[in-house]
Amino acid sequence: MEEKYLVCEDSLEGIFTGIYEAYALREGHEHVHLQVGEEDNYRLFAAYLHILPDAGKTGKVARTLLGQVGESAYHALCRAAASCYPDKGEAVYKTVVDAITAGSGRRVMENLRNPYVRRAFELARYTANEAHYETEFIRFQELDQGVLFSRIGPKNNVIPFIMPHFADRLCPEDFMIYDENHALFGVHPAKKEWYLVSAQGDFAPEALQWSSREEEFQELFKAFHETIGIKERENKRLQRQMCAYRYQDYMMEFQRK
Amino acid sequence: MWYIKKTNICSSYAERGNTVEVRISSQMSIMDKLKILGEAAKYDVSCSSSGSSRKNDGQGIGNTVAAGLCHSFASDGRCVSLLKILFTNECIYDCRYCANRCSNDVPRASFTPDEVCELTMEFYRRNYIEGLFLSSGILYSPNYTMELICETVHKLRMLHRFQGYIHIKAIPGADPLLIQRAGYLADRMSVNLEMATAEGLKEMAPNKHRKNILKPMRQIQNGITENKNELTLYKHAPHFCEAGQSTQMVIGALPESDYQIMSVAENLYEKFSLKRVYYSAFVNVNEDKALPALAGGPPLLREHRLYQADWLLRFYDFKVEELLTADRPNFNTAIDPKADWAVRHLEVFPVEINRADYRLLLRIPGVGVKSARRIISARRFGNLTFEDLKKIGVVLKRALYFITCNGRMMYPTKIEEEYIVRNLTYQNQMGRGEKLPFMSDGTIYQQMSLFPQEMRQMSG
Repeated sequence: MEEKYLVCEDSLEGIFTGIYEAYALREGHEHVHLQVGEEDNYRLFAAYLHILPDAGKTGKVARTLLGQVGESAYHALCRAAASCYPDKGEAVYKTVVDAITAGSGRRVMENLRNPYVRRAFELARYTANEAHYETEFIRFQELDQGVLFSRIGPKNNVIPFIMPHFADRLCPEDFMIYDENHALFGVHPAKKEWYLVSAQGDFAPEALQWSSREEEFQELFKAFHETIGIKERENKRLQRQMCAYRYQDYMMEFQRK
Repeated sequence: MWYIKKTNICSSYAERGNTVEVRISSQMSIMDKLKILGEAAKYDVSCSSSGSSRKNDGQGIGNTVAAGLCHSFASDGRCVSLLKILFTNECIYDCRYCANRCSNDVPRASFTPDEVCELTMEFYRRNYIEGLFLSSGILYSPNYTMELICETVHKLRMLHRFQGYIHIKAIPGADPLLIQRAGYLADRMSVNLEMATAEGLKEMAPNKHRKNILKPMRQIQNGITENKNELTLYKHAPHFCEAGQSTQMVIGALPESDYQIMSVAENLYEKFSLKRVYYSAFVNVNEDKALPALAGGPPLLREHRLYQADWLLRFYDFKVEELLTADRPNFNTAIDPKADWAVRHLEVFPVEINRADYRLLLRIPGVGVKSARRIISARRFGNLTFEDLKKIGVVLKRALYFITCNGRMMYPTKIEEEYIVRNLTYQNQMGRGEKLPFMSDGTIYQQMSLFPQEMRQMSG
């Protein structure tokens, strides 16, 4: 039988619409594949169908999944879909098949013997870990109007997963987080709901004006950070292991003058 | 949220007109104070921000996360989670191991409560820290010091509406009412035990007494228990030390054995319901003649083994008697305590992964809490193979000597103590085995070289 590839957009909406269409084909799931983004090496004897994201279909898939696999597995699937790896579409799709068609249901993320579930589990874990590190290592700078601003460069699309944490913690503050790899802003106006904005055109964070006391507090924390290390126990390798260079690049206390 | 029970302390700081007597710090900049008092606090190990989980109530900034968050890592690889400072390093005590003892000539400084509040709030907003860790040298008397700490934290909670994590040191010898007051403001409190034995403490810290340390510890424990009962009756009752209490012991300053130290730790967990016991490898900051000069640096490997054993006590259902005995009082530094236990109990092994219960799975070297849980849930769907175990996260290079999958071992291996120990330590020597977090012992990590020293220098 001919292999079918559903090509969908690289977003949660794209992947969920793709899953909807895969079920709508009614051809079983063995020969249907979900692919995120364009293929640059087309296969022979395979049909490529292009799927446009559709809010209605996404909603239907999301509702079905929430009902069938439960909240925690659903969130795991969302995290897997936010991953930076291109095989995420296939992994999420086949995991949904395992849950709904093969019937593992709410237990689906425990079925680690299924290679697709395992992959989705890995991807979800990777996104969750990175989101966790970003909640720890984000550094806000106070801008001249008192807005807190932070710039990050994560591999996975983690902003949707870290915004709830900061929206709760910094509830009375205006803040925004800018993901320069995905050109995405998470914006939180004080005491209101947060939302996402995609960055348009050239945004230069260097051009932002700091508040008058921002530099003072940066210097204070740098001094504290330097003081707190015990010289007799110095261990740069462990430091790097706990806080990788790619995070250190965005953390002001690691920036040398 | 932090409703404070009225206490009848008459000489309250606020009633004295809200000024603190500060002897030296008036001309000093906040930067200098932070450097001195951060430096003075750094030998306190505890930096965790875990154990309490609280949402923001919409009145101020801050929340807490049950697992805690580390916001940065210092040059020694330890996490920076809390703003760890002393309120003052002016101290009337003369403990031999402490850099701030009164007989030392070091720069002294004191914060004012407002300075501590400002630093905490501004650092917290910028996501540098998870909260405040406030300890102090003994200024004038334990009561005076404890009151200063309470006032500072009270201001932070009430005036600034700070809802992040706060860890306070209970000052031994302070009035129980002050300790109780602090407990309602803090997430975690701790009293440092310092030395594993009472005699050791007497020798090292002539002004401290074991009795004075255990008293507040017991008080905090009882406070937590009572508070739990209160909370079951009244949902909105104020929390008392929600994240429990911890303590710290210095390792390697006195000739105590690992067995003594671990027995004390086990007692503290069981009888005082502590959340954590920290072990601090001794650093001879004072070059005191009565203290050992540790040529190879602080005993980091020993500290590491103690922490490993501590985890075995808390999460792996081990007892100290299983790990150490009076005739075998110290850990084998070559292999970790769990592997050490396993090779001495080969009658239990090999364990069949597809059938063993959770407790037994946890006893296998290379299987941790997470992989044991994953094994239990994944094998509901069918038998697991070695390939599955690898994907699940089991460290097979350690586990393979102790397990079977569907009745087969991974490779044909001998189940002999000597053979397994040789293999495990060989892996360590080649740098492929246990990952130690440091390189204290140069020989462990050195690659074998076939060239003499001079030749390497020539080619380099």
